[in-house]
Amino acid sequence: MLIFVISPINFSFALDDDPGKYLNRKAEIWNLFYRMMTVAFVIGSVVSGTLIWLVWRFRESNHKAKKTRYEEQGKW
Amino acid sequence: MNTHSNWPEWIYVGVVVALLIYVGAEAWNIERIIEHIPSDAEIIQVTGQQWFWTFEHEDGTKEIGELHLKKDHAYKFEVVSKDVIHSFNIHDYVVLVDAVPGRVNTVWFSPDESGEFDIQCREYCGLIHYNMRAKLYVDDDKS
Repeated sequence: MLIFVISPINFSFALDDDPGKYLNRKAEIWNLFYRMMTVAFVIGSVVSGTLIWLVWRFRESNHKAKKTRYEEQGKW
Repeated sequence: MNTHSNWPEWIYVGVVVALLIYVGAEAWNIERIIEHIPSDAEIIQVTGQQWFWTFEHEDGTKEIGELHLKKDHAYKFEVVSKDVIHSFNIHDYVVLVDAVPGRVNTVWFSPDESGEFDIQCREYCGLIHYNMRAKLYVDDDKS
């Protein structure tokens, strides 16, 4: 586990010793933005999809709904 | 006693946490790569003051309100301010860094297209902030 954590950190800090390479800032930054947006929409879809499914599945009027222990006993 | 299986919850939490770790790591890594300056970058001193930009090349050449650079060369800007906070921005090359009094902020880029580009202050700095502009001329070495 430590290897997986320490290796990339070492690799990244080692960058400081080498001269930087020419790159296209615009491409790098916009690519990062698109990747971040993809992840954001995936998380957003998973979280909101789960909530929508929960509300739909566990509503009282769902024909699969079961009474809770408290509802069966009529007291809570 | 709750006896139902809760592995779907753990998978759900794991996926979300993994994605968030990926977001943090990727952003951190790209930022490091972008900030890594090539050794042959020419240093340009950029001074912001109400309400114009001054540029000084390594050979001592000074320019006011315009900046002449060569295509496919790396340039490191050392950005300072003489009065209030400004922000040095070359929109077309996604260069943006604050000019703060008493501080030297750096940013580097390499123009890959020749032509004229706008330089603009991006931090409200007073009455004529809207017109605190300069022109970047990128010249092709070959021509």
